[in-house]
Amino acid sequence: MGQESFQLIAAMVLRETSIIYDERKDYLVEARLHPLATQAGCASIDEYVRLVTINAEERRKAIDALTINETSWFRDNAPYQAFTETILPTLMANRTTRRHLSIWSAACSSGQEAYSIAMLLDQHLPAGWTAEIVATDVSTAMLTRVQKGRYSQVEMNRGLPATSLVKYFTRVGTEFEIIAPLREKVRTRHLNLADPAYPGIGTFDFILLRNVLIYFDQPTKHGILRRMHQHLAPDGYLLLGSSETTLDLPPDLNALWDREQLGRVQAHRPATSTPPRPITTAALAGA
Amino acid sequence: MSSIAAPEAADVQAVTEQVWSSFLGDEEPLIPRFMEPGHPFDAEEVWSSAISIGGGWSGTVTVELSANLALELTRVMLALEAGDPISDEDLADAVGELVNMVGGNIKSLMPGPSVLTLPIVAAGRAAHASDAIEVARLDAVWAGEPVRVSVHTRASE
Amino acid sequence: MKALIIDDSRAMRSILRRIVAGLDFETFEAANGQEALDQLNDGLMPELCLVDWNMPVMDGYTFITSVRANQGWRNITLMMVTTESEQGQIVKALAAGAHEYVIKPFTPDAIVEKLEILGLVGRGIPA
Repeated sequence: MGQESFQLIAAMVLRETSIIYDERKDYLVEARLHPLATQAGCASIDEYVRLVTINAEERRKAIDALTINETSWFRDNAPYQAFTETILPTLMANRTTRRHLSIWSAACSSGQEAYSIAMLLDQHLPAGWTAEIVATDVSTAMLTRVQKGRYSQVEMNRGLPATSLVKYFTRVGTEFEIIAPLREKVRTRHLNLADPAYPGIGTFDFILLRNVLIYFDQPTKHGILRRMHQHLAPDGYLLLGSSETTLDLPPDLNALWDREQLGRVQAHRPATSTPPRPITTAALAGA
Repeated sequence: MSSIAAPEAADVQAVTEQVWSSFLGDEEPLIPRFMEPGHPFDAEEVWSSAISIGGGWSGTVTVELSANLALELTRVMLALEAGDPISDEDLADAVGELVNMVGGNIKSLMPGPSVLTLPIVAAGRAAHASDAIEVARLDAVWAGEPVRVSVHTRASE
Repeated sequence: MKALIIDDSRAMRSILRRIVAGLDFETFEAANGQEALDQLNDGLMPELCLVDWNMPVMDGYTFITSVRANQGWRNITLMMVTTESEQGQIVKALAAGAHEYVIKPFTPDAIVEKLEILGLVGRGIPA
């Protein structure tokens, strides 16, 4: 593909997804656009790129194809074990009247994290309880992937028990698609964590903020952790990535958080010396 | 005119790419290229391998590689050192497994149940009979070396 | 721990052997289900079997049903490694007693993660 075509595409991808393709990766771009070009009846990638600039549907498909991202299901295992063994039972014990859980996958990427939680909820959430998972990402292309809920064979091999594969997915061509009941539990929303506020996102019982803070500078990272505190229930749990710590926080931010060890996982919880607010009938009436 | 069931071009590419990157890694990617239909495979020395699918769907999956690529693939799959000699049997084992994986995946895409034959490997270009119909083809380059994956059926099937 | 790798493809056995030997398994190989059963009957007791589906003489599905029919072999973990990727095939294999299932092509990471799920390496995930 010509240099001009490559730069056009790279700029488009950067704008939509914040993913940077530098010139050394032009072969990757070409490889991923090739089947789309063929399907669209174009004789060359350059011709296809011209089509992409004027056709919104093709543009969407092209961005989709260029943001393939392989991550694992139940990544690192321990956080999901902590969820099932400790976080879920503890949250449930404090919500016996309302019987609802809100969960936020705060940098959801292609959705394996959100759907992994959905699978565990299907297995462990008792009848009479409801749960909602909000999956947000700065990349609209990723959000589309989450909405579609389709994964390649290679992605399906990564950390997903075979019994869950057959229970929660159906095959579509070379891909596997998550079944509707689980797809319906996950709501996607565009959100840039670096924004100064997250209007309307709501309050959550459990937030996963895994392996994303590393992409931000210190001030932004601190801002995100302040905002997370605002959107987490007083008895809620925040999980970061396995190798992420929150050392070197400014004292006032540090004071907002307690750290609790759950097995091999460290959870952050809003620092509080008072017990969780009891649920009153007045609150329920207004809820 | 009846329609012939055939794998989608995008699926053939996806399958081949996944087989390639899983076993040969991501550093050198498989780069698709455009070639006119009927254009013969353009390497001086070629190894080819074919596997047939029969049952719910019948067809043949053929892989052609330049000899250099076949040697490199064999070295990687069998973990042979740079200086180790490579025998015909080594090449047959590696190239046969390549077409087995591609063919097996394509079989899973088509109406079943079907069975796979054992792969046949030969030194030389593939030749297809006059009543064989090409229903899908991927031409690509890996580390500068050409590879072709093609799928054929017969008019009567 | 011991791993028995059952696949009619020498190249595939070679690939799996390297991955699994790197995880400190002592490896054994068989080119089909019958050869594998012969080794078990001769007293080999592997903790793990990696089983291809399509093989001459005895296929992987038949091997798995044979192993699971024998009480003395109930502690052997059976993981299929195959190109068979239709839902029905995976269900059939699990119903016959396979503990895990890897679709070819796979990366070494995928095998490691499956072995973690099985508790043969590292820690497993919640049931």
